[in-house]
Amino acid sequence: MPRVVVDAMGGDFAPEEMVRAVSQVSLESDIQMVLVGHAEQIQALLDAGEYNPELISVRHCGSVIGMSEDPREAIRAKKDASISVAARMVALGEADAMVSAGNTGACVLAAAKHWKLLAGIRKAALASVFPRQTEYEGQDQLGLLLDVGATIRCEAVELAQFGVMGSAYARCISKVASPRVGLLNMGAEANKGGDVLVEANRLLAGLPAIGFIGNVEGHDVATGHADVVVAEGLLGNVVLKLLEGVAEVASSLANNAAHESWRWRFGMAMLSPGIERMRTLADFQTYGGAPILGFEHVCIKAHGRSRSGAIGNAIKVSAKAVRDGIIPDIAQKIAELR
Amino acid sequence: MRGAPPAFAPVEDRSVAFRWDLDKTYLRTEFESLRKMVRIPFEGGADKVHLPGVPQLIRALRRRAEAQDNRPYVFFLSASPRQIGSAVRDKLALDEIEYDGITFKDQLGHLVRGRWSSLREQVGYKLDELLSARLGGPAASCEYLFGDDWESDPLIYSLYADVLSGGIDLETLKRILVAVDVRKASVLRILDRAEVLFGTAPDAVEQIYINLERRTPPSRFRAYGPRVVPTFNTLQAAASLYQSRRLELDDVIDVARAQLGVEGQGGHRLRNSIDDLTRRGHLRLEIRDRVVRRFAREELAPLAKGEAALRTRLRAALATFRRRKQKAPLGRADYETLLAQWENH
Repeated sequence: MPRVVVDAMGGDFAPEEMVRAVSQVSLESDIQMVLVGHAEQIQALLDAGEYNPELISVRHCGSVIGMSEDPREAIRAKKDASISVAARMVALGEADAMVSAGNTGACVLAAAKHWKLLAGIRKAALASVFPRQTEYEGQDQLGLLLDVGATIRCEAVELAQFGVMGSAYARCISKVASPRVGLLNMGAEANKGGDVLVEANRLLAGLPAIGFIGNVEGHDVATGHADVVVAEGLLGNVVLKLLEGVAEVASSLANNAAHESWRWRFGMAMLSPGIERMRTLADFQTYGGAPILGFEHVCIKAHGRSRSGAIGNAIKVSAKAVRDGIIPDIAQKIAELR
Repeated sequence: MRGAPPAFAPVEDRSVAFRWDLDKTYLRTEFESLRKMVRIPFEGGADKVHLPGVPQLIRALRRRAEAQDNRPYVFFLSASPRQIGSAVRDKLALDEIEYDGITFKDQLGHLVRGRWSSLREQVGYKLDELLSARLGGPAASCEYLFGDDWESDPLIYSLYADVLSGGIDLETLKRILVAVDVRKASVLRILDRAEVLFGTAPDAVEQIYINLERRTPPSRFRAYGPRVVPTFNTLQAAASLYQSRRLELDDVIDVARAQLGVEGQGGHRLRNSIDDLTRRGHLRLEIRDRVVRRFAREELAPLAKGEAALRTRLRAALATFRRRKQKAPLGRADYETLLAQWENH
C-alpha cells in the first residue's frame, strides 16, 4: 500500500482542509497517510469528522513555513517545519510520496535538500496541469507544462530530460498511451529559438519513445496540439501566469457584461451551462496538484488555495504514481537517454 | 400508576459484569437495506459473522476476571426479536462464549398488540431491561458496558450508570425519557426501578465502550464524559481494558492477531489504532509504549523509525489533552447539553 505524507500545515486553508481531505481518503481507499503538523490541532480536527484511524498517523512538528515567507531563508531557519519533516520522512523511507499545498518554493527546496535527483537528472522540474482544447479522442482535457519555476534557464539536455519526465508522468496519470511532447518555441521550424532550443529539439527528436512532435508555439498550448509542453522555468512560469490571467480577465469581463444590460445578462444566462463546463474543466480542485519531477521520490504540489477535494485528489494521484512505478519508469527512460 | 417499589439484589463483592449489545457490537449484522434485513431471520448460527477480535476479547475478560479472583458475568442485551435467538445462541456456542444471560426484544408481541412505536423504540426498552436485570441480580460490584453508535447505546448506558451512581436526579431522567419519546408506561416503570437503584452502587459502571461502526465523529461523545470511550475497533477496547487491568498484554495481542487475520490488515493499522486512542486521551503513554513494543516483539508491527523522538512528540501533544480532560466533568454525562442536542436534532 502506498504511504503518503501530507504537509498538514501548508496551504491557505490549512490545517482544516488537509485534515478533512485525509479523513475522506481514509474512508474510501487503502492509502496509508501521515499528517505532519501540530498534533493537537490535527487530532481535534480529526475528532470532529468521520475518519478511519487505521490508515492515519500523525507526526507532530513545531513550526510552519508561511505562504509569503522567503523559502530559502525559511527552510534554513525552520528545521522542524512541517514541509521539511515531511520530506525527511520520505527520505528515511517512512513514506513513499509527499503532498503539500504550502509555499511552492519551500516545497521544492525541501525536496532538493532531503532527496536525491535520479541518476543522470541534472535539474528537477515543477510541472503544472492546465485546461485546453482536445484534438483527438481519448486525449486528456488537461495538458502538462514543465518547468514552471523550479529552474530559470536550462541547457538543451535538461529540456530533453523534462520531455522524458513529462511524457512518463502523462502516460501514467492521464492514461494517454503515447503523449505528444512539444518544445515551446517562437516558431515551428527546428532551427528557431537559438542554440539551446535548436539543440533541445535535436535531442528530443532523437528519442522515438517519447512521441516528440517538434516545436510548439504559444497558441498551441491552448489548442491541445501537445499533451506535454516543455519549457525552461522562466518561460513556463510566464506562460502559466498568462493563462491564469487570461482566464481571470475573461471571467471578470463576463461578470461585468452581465451587469451592463439585460440583453447581455440574458445571453450570459443562456450560455451558463457551457460556462459552467468550462469552469469545471479549469477548476484546479478536480485535478488536485502537479508533480515535482526529477527526484527519487514522488511529490505532488497542490494549489495553495486547495480545498479538501483537491487535496484528496492530490493524495490519490501521488499514491497512483507510486503504485504505477512512475519513478523507476522515469529513471529507465533517462538511462536510455544517456 | 406506580406500584410498590421492587426489591433489589444486594451488591455482590468481587464480581464484574460485562454487558454486551449484539448487533454491530458483537455481530456484523447488516440491516442497512431491506434485502439484508429480510435475510436475517433465515440465517443460522454459522451464517452469522462476528466483529474481528470480539470473541477473543470476551473470552479473555472472563478468564482474567477469574484469575483475579472475581466472579465474571457476561450478559447480552439485544433489540432483535426473540425469533432469531436460536441462531444467535448457536453462534455464541460456535465462538465458545460462555454467558450468563441473553435478552431479546418481544417484537412479535409489540406487532400483535399494534404497538408500532415500540418496535423501533430503544431507550425505554434497553434501560428498563438493564435496571430490571440489576434489580433481579446478580448485581456486580463493577460493570463494563459495550454498545455501538447505531442507536442510542451511549445515552442508555450513561443513564443506567448514573442511576446506579446517583449522578442523575429522577426529574432529569424523566425529562430525558420524555424527550426521546419513550412510552409513558415505560417511563413510569423505569422511574420505579431507578428510584430503588438510585445511588446504590456509586462506582459500579467503570467504562462504556461504543464501537464506532458508523464512524460517528468521536467529538460527538464528549458530552457523555470520560466514562464513554468511543472505539474504532476491538483492539482499541482491548488496549483500554488492559489499561484498566481487566486484561493482560497477551490478551491484547490475541485480539490484534484476530484483527489482522480476519481483515488482512497490515501491522501499521494496529499501531495507528493504538496511537489514535492515545491521542484522543483514552490511553496513557506508558501503556501505548508497552503495547507498541510488544507488537514489534511479536512481529505484528515494527517500531516506527525514530520511535524515541516520536514518543517525545506524542507526550507533548498528550499534555494538552490531559489538561482538557481534567476540565471535563468526571464520571457523569452532561445531560443538559445532550438534551439540547437532542431537541436541536
